[in-house]
Amino acid sequence: MPRILVVEDSSTMRAFVRAALEEQVSSVGELSVVEAASGFDALRLLPRGPYALVITDINMPDINGLELVRFIRSSEQHQATPIVLISTQSSERDQQRGLSLGADAYLAKPFTEDALRRVAFEQLERTRLKASPNG
Amino acid sequence: MADLAKVAPARPLRRGMDRGPVREFLVFGLAGELYGVELTGIKEILSPPPITTVPRAPREVVGVCSVRGLLVTVLDLRRRLRLEERGPTRRSRILLAMADTGEVSGLLVDEVRQVVRLAEAEIEVAAQALGGDLAEHVLGVGRPGGMFLILLDLKAIVKD
Amino acid sequence: MAEISDKAREEFFSEAQEIIETLSRNLLALDTASREGSYDPSLINEAFRAVHTLKGLAGLFGATRLGSMSHRLEDLLDALRLGRMVLSAETLDVLFSAVDAYNKVLELEKAGIDQSLPEVDALLGKLDRLGAGVPDRSSPVSEYEFDAGMLAVLTEYEEHRLKVNVEQRLSLYRLRVQFDLATIDRALEQIKERARLHGEIITYLPTGETTSADSIELDLLMASKDTLATLIGALGADNVVIEEIPRRRAPDAPAPRAPLQSNLAMPLPSAPVRAGDSMPPPVRETDRGGPMEKERSLRSLTQTVRVDIRKLDHLMNIVGELAIVRGAFSRIAERVRNDGQRQLAAELMRLHRNFDRRLSEMQEGILEVRMVPLGQVFERLARVVRQISRELHKEIRLVITGAETEIDKLIVEELSDPLMHMIRNAIDHGIESAERRAQVGKPNAGTIALNAYQKGNHVMIEVEDDGRGIDESAIVERAVQLGKLERADVGELAREEILGLIFLPGLSTRQSADDVSGRGVGMDIVKTNIGKLGGVIDVHSEVGIGTKMTITLPITLAIVSALIVRAEAQVFALPLASVSEALSLDEASVRVLDGREVVTLRGSTLPICRLSRLLNLERAQDSLTRQGFVVVVALGSRRLGLAVDHLYGQQDIVIKPLGRSLRNVRGFAGATELGDQRVGLVLDAAALIEEMLVGSEQPRERAGVAHG
Repeated sequence: MPRILVVEDSSTMRAFVRAALEEQVSSVGELSVVEAASGFDALRLLPRGPYALVITDINMPDINGLELVRFIRSSEQHQATPIVLISTQSSERDQQRGLSLGADAYLAKPFTEDALRRVAFEQLERTRLKASPNG
Repeated sequence: MADLAKVAPARPLRRGMDRGPVREFLVFGLAGELYGVELTGIKEILSPPPITTVPRAPREVVGVCSVRGLLVTVLDLRRRLRLEERGPTRRSRILLAMADTGEVSGLLVDEVRQVVRLAEAEIEVAAQALGGDLAEHVLGVGRPGGMFLILLDLKAIVKD
Repeated sequence: MAEISDKAREEFFSEAQEIIETLSRNLLALDTASREGSYDPSLINEAFRAVHTLKGLAGLFGATRLGSMSHRLEDLLDALRLGRMVLSAETLDVLFSAVDAYNKVLELEKAGIDQSLPEVDALLGKLDRLGAGVPDRSSPVSEYEFDAGMLAVLTEYEEHRLKVNVEQRLSLYRLRVQFDLATIDRALEQIKERARLHGEIITYLPTGETTSADSIELDLLMASKDTLATLIGALGADNVVIEEIPRRRAPDAPAPRAPLQSNLAMPLPSAPVRAGDSMPPPVRETDRGGPMEKERSLRSLTQTVRVDIRKLDHLMNIVGELAIVRGAFSRIAERVRNDGQRQLAAELMRLHRNFDRRLSEMQEGILEVRMVPLGQVFERLARVVRQISRELHKEIRLVITGAETEIDKLIVEELSDPLMHMIRNAIDHGIESAERRAQVGKPNAGTIALNAYQKGNHVMIEVEDDGRGIDESAIVERAVQLGKLERADVGELAREEILGLIFLPGLSTRQSADDVSGRGVGMDIVKTNIGKLGGVIDVHSEVGIGTKMTITLPITLAIVSALIVRAEAQVFALPLASVSEALSLDEASVRVLDGREVVTLRGSTLPICRLSRLLNLERAQDSLTRQGFVVVVALGSRRLGLAVDHLYGQQDIVIKPLGRSLRNVRGFAGATELGDQRVGLVLDAAALIEEMLVGSEQPRERAGVAHG
């Protein structure tokens, strides 16, 4: 079952994302969400990958989402893993910075379950096509 | 402790326009003679504070004293110039002079008289006439207002 | 949109409640701190993040009132944290009213009641009046030789914090830290805790250079006003490597590069300067900076240099060694003259004099460099006070005077811990709780005064509180309990002696001191540490009024403890470092061995040197009646008994070098002021031992003539 790493310091937000993604079957099958409550949690959980997708908040204490993006992109294991950023609407600059560091998409808070699923499934589908260009 | 402001002001001297720049000399007495040292070289004039003798020191050194935390070596100018010796009296003063190195030395003299102004041309080169040990420390002589002043080279005295 | 489960809603409300509580705590801390003049900027960021999360959650759960209110507050806090607005008392009031409004709104949302709230409307109105602030897009961070990668991952907030720190002319450091993944949270908290005293950590960046699966390497970007050496001392460890990020150009230099080039008529170095050769470790060369930039950064570095204090110590040691060379120099010159080569001897002496003068200048120069204002350590203490008062929920007013007082850098470094300890004790055990203070009619806020001033050759530091004072009877009781004091002796103790008991080991332990004596833990350690610096500590205390601890420290470590002795009528100082003991001289036990006077001390023979004869001192009046003493001085394995007429005791002295006309006088290390304007000569024990036991024949003959 493809696993999705969700990095977010609000437990409610994590639960929300988990519910949204685990409830519906995507084109790559049923999904399982792994929760990380901080950037460090994510660093601990990343080596236990692979993950089909990483969804991370930008504004977190200590290690922020942008730093996580750079770390993921520089690691051999995860360099191709799609990343979706969650950010405030107001901070365009952070969103742009995230994309230029190698994130694939972003979602501005607040967002609906549908919006989240749409963005997440799109990324998963893209990876699937890339991985098997013939299929 | 007397400061320079209390020293009697110089009597004005007549002099021509072409006699060169004017220098101020502090006049003091030593073994019956009057000497002058250039005022710019004197930092301060002190009544002698308690002086600690330094065993094994050269004869000309009276000892060391503290001037507001600054350690000063005091030289007996009589001994320095190989003049007849005599202990300090009530009128004795210490002239604080700074050497080129920045070190401040004290010179014990018999008494401080006044400040005089001498134009360059009024200073007679007379070192030869004085001879002996004094010669190397003497700039010349001056005769302001009927006095006979031996002008000493302060730098040469505190240099060594 | 899928149905939101009851469980999820419950979770949402409980997290929202938590967030609002956190927000409230942050605002209180901000309020206290901003009244003291400055606040930890992370408090605002945390408040922002709290509101930001609330907004996100509100959106998910359709809580529109909560959402719109959070949205507006988020804008305000965003402007505050990014420095577009200044935190005013008025703004704080609005934020506090937001907490109230949040609580009301949350209640209604929970109960599912949909009605407008006057509190929220009022809040929105106030927020409108505050406005949104002015965005600031300038970026001064290009002044630093940053790893471009590090800049790219900063969030807008972090970049703003970086900018603020750079504008305050703080230094930037990169801390490369290896963490064990399993314990990273705790380790990071520890490093944060310590770093907080020295500055602000702006971001944490995983480097991606993992050495093992269980560990991770992070780059911490930190801004601090402290020196690299201080930071290494405070934060350095096996797993922490600290480097300074060099400044690229003067902060006031214009940013555009093109006109800058014409200003730079400086010749370029013919050979490229390799990074790391003679410069502080630069972070990484960036492609953006051409050779011009490089040159610029080299030049700006030459203005001030941060120097490790140990290097100064090393220089001072070299000066000491050169002083020995100087001694040998003059002896050679003397020998050459005795051999009849007068001209050569004169040249040598001239060289020697020159050498001597420069050496003294060098010594003075090094001492001067070592002096720093106490403000350095006081600032650190101010931060500690804020932190402790927050921890203990005691309001503290810190009053500092004399921060400009200068003292040896090494002493400053070592002062930080004892002072911190004393201040913690003063707040923890000295200052009463707010309720107690109210009962006894003291102002709510406790006052800690930190005063420094110079007194002669010493620097005095007072730590004073207006707390409960020290309970003497509790201290006495504890001392008796511990067997440090006989009950019978209690009556004979003076007040100061009783207060001094708090410095006994074991006396100020946690269980005894906590709330009993009014003075906290580990005062014995404080006293030991102050003692190591050549300082002493005194206590004054009045029950109910407060306690004052006074530390007396030497201005520099060039100050030494000395034994003050008299020979005939002359007073001398003998540095204690070379004194092993002092005993009274029994003239009857003096024997003559090989023409030298000796006494037997614990079975071995000790040669005696009578200072009055050696120095040919004039006889004093009481010559015949006095009782003599022997001060045993030691140099390595060589010992010499200096016979003197009187011992005055111990005194701290500053040794001043003798003038040039006395440079050839042997046996004295310098002179010192002994009080009431009197100058005493400082004996050079090593030179005396050398002269008496191993020196050339000449001085001994001289001494022989003197008393013969």
